[in-house]
Amino acid sequence: MNKAQKYSTDGAEHNHKAAPMVEEITDFEVLEIAVRELAIEHGLFTAEDHRRFTEFAESVGPAGGSRLVAKIWTDPAFKARAMEDPVKACLEIGIDWSKPTGFGTPSDYTHLTILEDTPTLHHVVCCTLCSCYPRPLLGMSPEWYRTTNYRRRLVRWPRQILAEFGLILPPEVEVRVEDSNQKCRFIVLPVRPSGTENWTEEQLAEIVTRDCMIGVALPQPGRTADVHPVHKARRPVHSSHHEEAAR
Amino acid sequence: MSLRTQLSQEREIIGSLQPAIHTPQNWNYEVPSPLYRAYMHPPHDVGGQFDVPVHYEEKEEEQWELNTYVTCEVLAWRGIWSAEERRRRADNDLGYTMYLGIPYYGRWIWSAAKMLVDKNHISLAELMDKVVEVKSRYETK
Amino acid sequence: MKQSKTMEKSQNNIGVLEEHPLGMQPRFKVGDRVQVRDMPYFFYTRSQMWARGVVGTIAALTYSDLVPEDEAFNVDGRVEQYYIVRFRQKDLWPEYPFDNDTVQTESPERWLEPARNSE
Repeated sequence: MNKAQKYSTDGAEHNHKAAPMVEEITDFEVLEIAVRELAIEHGLFTAEDHRRFTEFAESVGPAGGSRLVAKIWTDPAFKARAMEDPVKACLEIGIDWSKPTGFGTPSDYTHLTILEDTPTLHHVVCCTLCSCYPRPLLGMSPEWYRTTNYRRRLVRWPRQILAEFGLILPPEVEVRVEDSNQKCRFIVLPVRPSGTENWTEEQLAEIVTRDCMIGVALPQPGRTADVHPVHKARRPVHSSHHEEAAR
Repeated sequence: MSLRTQLSQEREIIGSLQPAIHTPQNWNYEVPSPLYRAYMHPPHDVGGQFDVPVHYEEKEEEQWELNTYVTCEVLAWRGIWSAEERRRRADNDLGYTMYLGIPYYGRWIWSAAKMLVDKNHISLAELMDKVVEVKSRYETK
Repeated sequence: MKQSKTMEKSQNNIGVLEEHPLGMQPRFKVGDRVQVRDMPYFFYTRSQMWARGVVGTIAALTYSDLVPEDEAFNVDGRVEQYYIVRFRQKDLWPEYPFDNDTVQTESPERWLEPARNSE
């Protein structure tokens, strides 16, 4: 039983209701509505602003990052451009870091840095201070990435965490943790796995999953999804894109 | 549950929230330097602290969480605050107990509300009234 | 409210270092040995406890921007060079068993000083 369940106010009084129970609105849902409505009433932003940014938030996902990695793997000239100016190279694969404001998102900035793995160097990313994440390229961060648990442990026991993700690297390989604590945003460029010779960019992008670009997994032929238990929402975001991104 | 019963339960919970180091004579006249630094330490700076292996999971996003994220970003887009101020408020200002206790996006929306009040965009009275009014929309009759 | 310099630069496509409180040039270059200062904890920091007092190597210069302790409180003006600094895990944690592992993080210039020991 978790803490939330222990302190729930749902007591016996509610059990006698005959009709199927509609989930009560939560305190945070109320606060969210209150803040948004007050902000709009006071002219701090418009409902249209909120809609536009929501559209942007729902449009981002790991597919952009997968395409970037796949193109780097197959196109040496693109790789050179990407390592020189990652944000500019993202435009070539359809990701514009200046969106939706014209100067970037307030939280993600425009300093993408590509961490290139080699056979003797493996990168893995965290943000110990909060949960900074390259949203324009990878979408919203996974829940575990935001937890104090991950942020406490990765910077000190990285191989333990990688092992928990099923990734064990030999001691000769340098495991380099990137603590993303300022305005740079990082994605890991994994080593292209063997067994993918002559693959198309699309085929390669399929095996470059979000976990591979955080650095907690290695891309492999046949591995096309990051499989983790999913905690379901009470009132999930209703949009077909979100269902797509969650898979 | 009646309001009085609810308040009684709340009092019990608040009474059980303690500073990490509890002593019966719970008022300090002096604090040795390492303890001073520990108290002053920003809550969000957790890298290297001990923790145990757990099952990492994904979480389906709630509608209110997406709305919160967008509200916070749009407030920054329109110059009301910066993302860095959001981080300072949501990761730091709310204190260690709330930092560890409330959901990730709960901290975001709390910090947005606090910022709006601190900067006199809205008054605290207004915020309270609004929350009461929003709650009343959803009360089962 | 003033936007961060980063956002302004993105709008203007200017990569020029503006005001520099410690001189006109970045103080450190790639390869320099630096030590992270241990300044007091007051109210907010983006300089992690785990890196303080440790000697590392400048791995990259990234951009110039407002210091986080200022930006978080809407204080405008002082812009500094940021660096990625790399550390050996064995220098951070006495119990760390793997020789080759490293960790790196970003730091504004004011938090760094030249390494006192030569290593």
